[in-house]
Amino acid sequence: MQTDMKSSAFQQFAEAADTIVNPEVKKWKDGGGKVMGYFCTAMPTEMITAAGFLPFRMRATGSTETELSDSFFSSLNCSFPRHAFNMALKGEYDFIDGLVIFNSCDHIRRVYDHWIRQIGTPFVKILSLPRKSEQPQVEWFRDELSTLREAMHEHFGVEITDDRLREAIALHNKSRRMLRDMYELRKSDSPPITGAEMLAVTVAGTTMPQERYNQLLGELSDDIRERSGQSGFRARLMVIGGELDNPEYIKVIEGQGGLVVTDAVCFGSRMIWKDVEEDADDPLRALAQYYIIDRPACARMYTEYPRRLDFIKNLIKDFNVDGVIFQRLTFCELWGFEQYSLTNDFKELDVPLLCLDREYTMSGVGQLRTRVQAFLETMGR
Amino acid sequence: MDAKKERSVSRFREEIDTYEPVLEVLALEPGEMGHLQIPLLKNMLQKHKRIIECVETGEPFMASQFTNPVEILAAMDIPWYFHVEQQFAAAGTGGSPHTMEDLEAMDKIGVPSDCCTLLRLLLYYQVAGLLPIPTAYLALTEPCDSVAGLHAAFMNHPDWRNVPAYTPDPPYHSDERSINYFAGELKRMVEFITKHMGKTLDMNRLKAAVEETNKGYALWMDYNDIRRAVPAPHSYIMPMSCFYLINTMGAGDPAQTEWYKDLITDAEMRMRENKPEVPDQKIRIFWYDLQPMFFGELVPWLEQEWGGVIAMDMVSYCPYQLVDTSTEDSIFRGLARRAFEDGPMVHQARGLADNVIHDITRIVKDYKIDCVVFPGHMGHKDMQASISLMRETCRDLGVAFLHLGIDICDKRYTSVEDIKGKFSQFFTAMGLG
Ligand code: SF4
Ligand code: SF4
Repeated sequence: MQTDMKSSAFQQFAEAADTIVNPEVKKWKDGGGKVMGYFCTAMPTEMITAAGFLPFRMRATGSTETELSDSFFSSLNCSFPRHAFNMALKGEYDFIDGLVIFNSCDHIRRVYDHWIRQIGTPFVKILSLPRKSEQPQVEWFRDELSTLREAMHEHFGVEITDDRLREAIALHNKSRRMLRDMYELRKSDSPPITGAEMLAVTVAGTTMPQERYNQLLGELSDDIRERSGQSGFRARLMVIGGELDNPEYIKVIEGQGGLVVTDAVCFGSRMIWKDVEEDADDPLRALAQYYIIDRPACARMYTEYPRRLDFIKNLIKDFNVDGVIFQRLTFCELWGFEQYSLTNDFKELDVPLLCLDREYTMSGVGQLRTRVQAFLETMGR
Repeated sequence: MDAKKERSVSRFREEIDTYEPVLEVLALEPGEMGHLQIPLLKNMLQKHKRIIECVETGEPFMASQFTNPVEILAAMDIPWYFHVEQQFAAAGTGGSPHTMEDLEAMDKIGVPSDCCTLLRLLLYYQVAGLLPIPTAYLALTEPCDSVAGLHAAFMNHPDWRNVPAYTPDPPYHSDERSINYFAGELKRMVEFITKHMGKTLDMNRLKAAVEETNKGYALWMDYNDIRRAVPAPHSYIMPMSCFYLINTMGAGDPAQTEWYKDLITDAEMRMRENKPEVPDQKIRIFWYDLQPMFFGELVPWLEQEWGGVIAMDMVSYCPYQLVDTSTEDSIFRGLARRAFEDGPMVHQARGLADNVIHDITRIVKDYKIDCVVFPGHMGHKDMQASISLMRETCRDLGVAFLHLGIDICDKRYTSVEDIKGKFSQFFTAMGLG
């Protein structure tokens, strides 16, 4: 991604978002560090950091085919796990030392079943993630995390002590705060960072050691404060939905003249909007409380639709959003039903909504351009 | 009743109008299977009438889902209805006269067409005002994303938004901790019912209801043992009714237990006299999915054209464990296990794919299956991602495997003629029949 920023921080983020094994991962591995892969925003990455591992969120960046995974997934399955598993079958995920999967959705949970049979990752664990956000679910999830802690201890011999957890929580909270500060700057009339750039920054955070990430975020923050803001755009847009890890997608939207000023996606604001309690007596419970109740929930948490809608409405107001783009990976039922509810509820809002289905890879760019163009035009922009 | 309430029970009324005359005819001329059909129809119509009465008088009632233990509702004396019943009733009775118009109207409500049609249709019923609005609702989030996604949307409907809802949260594992957790969820469900329906749970009544359903389940298991026989005693409707009777028609009624006894008597008589309901059986099929709403158009053809008999299917397979009624705790734990582990769909789709391998292996061996048919309902995304495991299991077992690719509610997706064509090609290629 081209940039006019002074430091190299953004370039490093862009490279991390555009590759799987970025230089930081390589350096980490070369230094004998271990990498723990995970599939979903619900993973308390603080635990992985506390274990002294690098948390790496699974993506399928760069994948173009599903020739190998087609034997395991059908054409009615979401293209994200199909591409990610294809990469695993090709050995492109051989660098991870372990993998944690949740029953996040019907497609991802079957990745676990195939992974343990087909891929030689030495440590693979599936955790049970509740579907609702109440106190008994916090307790359940705390116990799940405890079993993960024990399993990691048994397999890798690592101690995830409470003190280390508190340190990791503070470290991850620091990233969240720095990212929120950047989002804050986007509220201005001329935001100093585009939506595509911002997504590259948040995605990069899921692929590198947290301390290094925070250091680079500091540099980037200085850069963008000195940068002149974006101007001349046709509308302030917000992108919402589930899995979206490709800044190019946002770039195409922004290429039509709209500026994405905020989002509610898995790799974006939903990861960073709240902090985990730092001084809790029981940091595992604090993590469970955060991941089950406090953070903005995604569509799999069935009780949370009203809260999700409020989250979107508040972002619209705070970021002065003119139009919202909902994107969904085809065959995702969780976000499919969400689309129905949002379409109904947006009728009562003064902000237009555009719903787009997409594939994980950047196919159908021409159609995306046309749809966004038309959307901007219906908005009178 | 106001127009809205009247519309909400209109489908119930139609079914009553349709099936009451059928009942009268059956009573006069029961035929070979009448003594088994009459209780099923009577029970369904009685339940419809009870809900209509509640809507008319304002008496509190609930809506619930097939995994929420009916024993609890029966013991608490709660009138309730199962809101996917319309679709299942349609499947059991050979289709509803409204199916096509409902599907066409459903297409317009705005849920992406790749989402499960069973649940899109349910959402359409809600939008169209065809579901009586309950005093409180017991929802469900297993076994698939569609169910969870649907319920988030369902509870956002303006008329339902203020209906108090409770959903027990199913764990993904099946260990003791999971059973205890889900038992806790069921206890909180009882508190919820008490709060919103003003009725308390008498443990003695629950014990009695569970003891009665235990008898039903035990008989159902016996019946399934009898179904190992070649030729199979019955066609598909009676076996599939086993689930419907125990799960949607209330619990604790000894008359239901009698029905299972009559079913077994009938099966035994058919075996003894070599008079199977389907004559000339040649191919024993394991139908590994829910039954489509157009099953009535397909199975008779399979039976007559190919001698294919549904020897086992997902809904009537009965892996249920009986509930230990010795203590309150054991009852809740037993009901919990049954609710989140044993029921159809839930049993196959909730947890790891190991369940798929285990079920196919067991059923193929126990029921002398010639071919495993995975209809591949478009809504079952986890199953779509398990086809390779099904195929491999069948290969290891040396049994033929057919993946159809259908929509159980919508024959516009794959027409009955196309399905028949696929069967014919497959049977011919495999040298079956
Ligand atoms: S939508 Fe939710 S469950 Fe699915 S990948 Fe995103 S965070 Fe995970
Ligand atoms: S987009 Fe939906 S279907 Fe695809 S992996 Fe995420 S939650 Fe699952």
